[in-house]
Amino acid sequence: MTVMNFTAMIPFALTWYVGMTNWAPQLTSNWWEADFLGPLNYIRVIPDDLFLNAIGRTLLFSAICVPVEFLLGFLLAYVFMGDFFGKKFFVLIAIVPMMVVPAAGGYTFYLMFIKLGPINGLLNILGFNSIPFLMVTKWAYVAIILADIWQWTPFIFLIMGAALLGLPQEPINAAYVLGASRWHTFRTVVLPMLRRPTMIALILRTVESFKLFDYPFMMTGGGPGYTTQTISMHLYEAGFRYLKYGPTAAQSIVILLTMAIVGFYAVKPLRAAQRGE
Amino acid sequence: MEQRLENIINLIIKYIFGLGVVFFALFPIYWMFTMALKPSIEWIPTQVHWWPWNPTLLNFMVLFIPKETILDWGLVEASHAAMLTLPHETATKSIINSLILSTGGTLIALFIGTTAAYALSRYKAGSDYLFLTFRMLPPIAILMPIVIWFSTIHLLDSLPGMLLLYGLFPMPFVVWLMRSFFDDIPPEVDEAALIDGATPPQVFTKVALPLVRGGLAVTALFIFILNWSDLVVALTITHRHAITIPVQIGLFEADVGHLYGLMSALGIVAIIPTLGFGLAIQKYLVRGLTFGAIKG
Repeated sequence: MTVMNFTAMIPFALTWYVGMTNWAPQLTSNWWEADFLGPLNYIRVIPDDLFLNAIGRTLLFSAICVPVEFLLGFLLAYVFMGDFFGKKFFVLIAIVPMMVVPAAGGYTFYLMFIKLGPINGLLNILGFNSIPFLMVTKWAYVAIILADIWQWTPFIFLIMGAALLGLPQEPINAAYVLGASRWHTFRTVVLPMLRRPTMIALILRTVESFKLFDYPFMMTGGGPGYTTQTISMHLYEAGFRYLKYGPTAAQSIVILLTMAIVGFYAVKPLRAAQRGE
Repeated sequence: MEQRLENIINLIIKYIFGLGVVFFALFPIYWMFTMALKPSIEWIPTQVHWWPWNPTLLNFMVLFIPKETILDWGLVEASHAAMLTLPHETATKSIINSLILSTGGTLIALFIGTTAAYALSRYKAGSDYLFLTFRMLPPIAILMPIVIWFSTIHLLDSLPGMLLLYGLFPMPFVVWLMRSFFDDIPPEVDEAALIDGATPPQVFTKVALPLVRGGLAVTALFIFILNWSDLVVALTITHRHAITIPVQIGLFEADVGHLYGLMSALGIVAIIPTLGFGLAIQKYLVRGLTFGAIKG
């Protein structure tokens, strides 16, 4: 275990060091030959607009996508509670989007949102004008968010569906017997019992949404301009397309440290839930 | 009477939602499918094509059959315009790579991860926090040192290098998931085996592993789906030789531009294994997706 931890540390140490150099493969081919800059790259992280804006945008995507996905998924799970004819079929269909390879899904959504795609076709039929979805920042956001919602609402639906299924029925029936209304029972009896699965669903989805890459990459390529570029895309572009290894390594370290701290606290409730505490 | 009316209204609401789900969940897949069936002239339409006007299986054939053979067989007229819509290379390489890498990576992750999970479950060895925290880091931020490391030992764009990554990246997932399955086995079972004279490694291989057979299968399928869907790692590490399906989808370009039909056809092909496996483990999906936190 100690060996494993130590091995895992080597790449991080390497990144940390490269982050202190001006290394770029077109200057010197080996990282140990690059000029040592000290903490300069780490200090430059703060005024780097591309980097900071990418973080901001990623947080904005998360802040919109996760709550919408949660509400939709939960609503769906609640409506589908109990047995009825055809339920198996509907549940099966509902989880299909999660199984689509995100790169292929991203491409399909690109094709759906282009000028003569089906979304604009539908808008025209309903009497609206076509919207240049992927050309205008605001609409590009809408398109990417819709794609993310399409793929990840099933995730929440599954978790909350399982949670609702596992609820003890006695307190709910007792509330009905005591004359509580459906809404009142839901709010005061069902919701408190769902606190733990809700936490788990939100934590997992939020952490995962910080990694957002495939959909914006395939749908807009970060455009128009850089306005839909997420943090993962920024690190990819700066590091592996423009080969700015030094600064990107510094930014990677900043992201890794932040996410390690976030992850550490996010893991706690997960583990508690797993142990049944 | 009032109760019955309420029940009927409830059922109607359920079906309205159900139909909504069917429409929203399946429409993008329908669109991918129609694109895959459209001939090249309909890819960039002058009006919305709700369905392929002249459906063709050519896109699927071009995925597997080289350009020269397609022309030899006369499937595409040899005119200049038609030639331009054929890709320089087929997708066969990426499909084979994806199959090798996803399967191989899964086996590596399972082999190492399961032993670690057993150690964590039975002997409380080490800190298990690190594993899941690692899973929460954005992969792109970890790839920089890996690219540096791989470039010095010539593993960039190679199958062994990718195999290593596809074995290591999903490993935290294996550890956590298998741990929850091992935790389900009461410790008395192990103790009984030990008293009967089995050594701890024997308890692991002969007692514990057979008991978590189902869990092992589910975990394997999960890891396969994770590796199969990966874009970031493959995009960064591979360029030509070790490309996978998600990378190939973005690479389908010819002299005329993006080959939308081929991309969609490959997308459809790529859905088949994940969808099949996903439906096969439907019962365990929740448990897998929540790292074992909800038993589902």
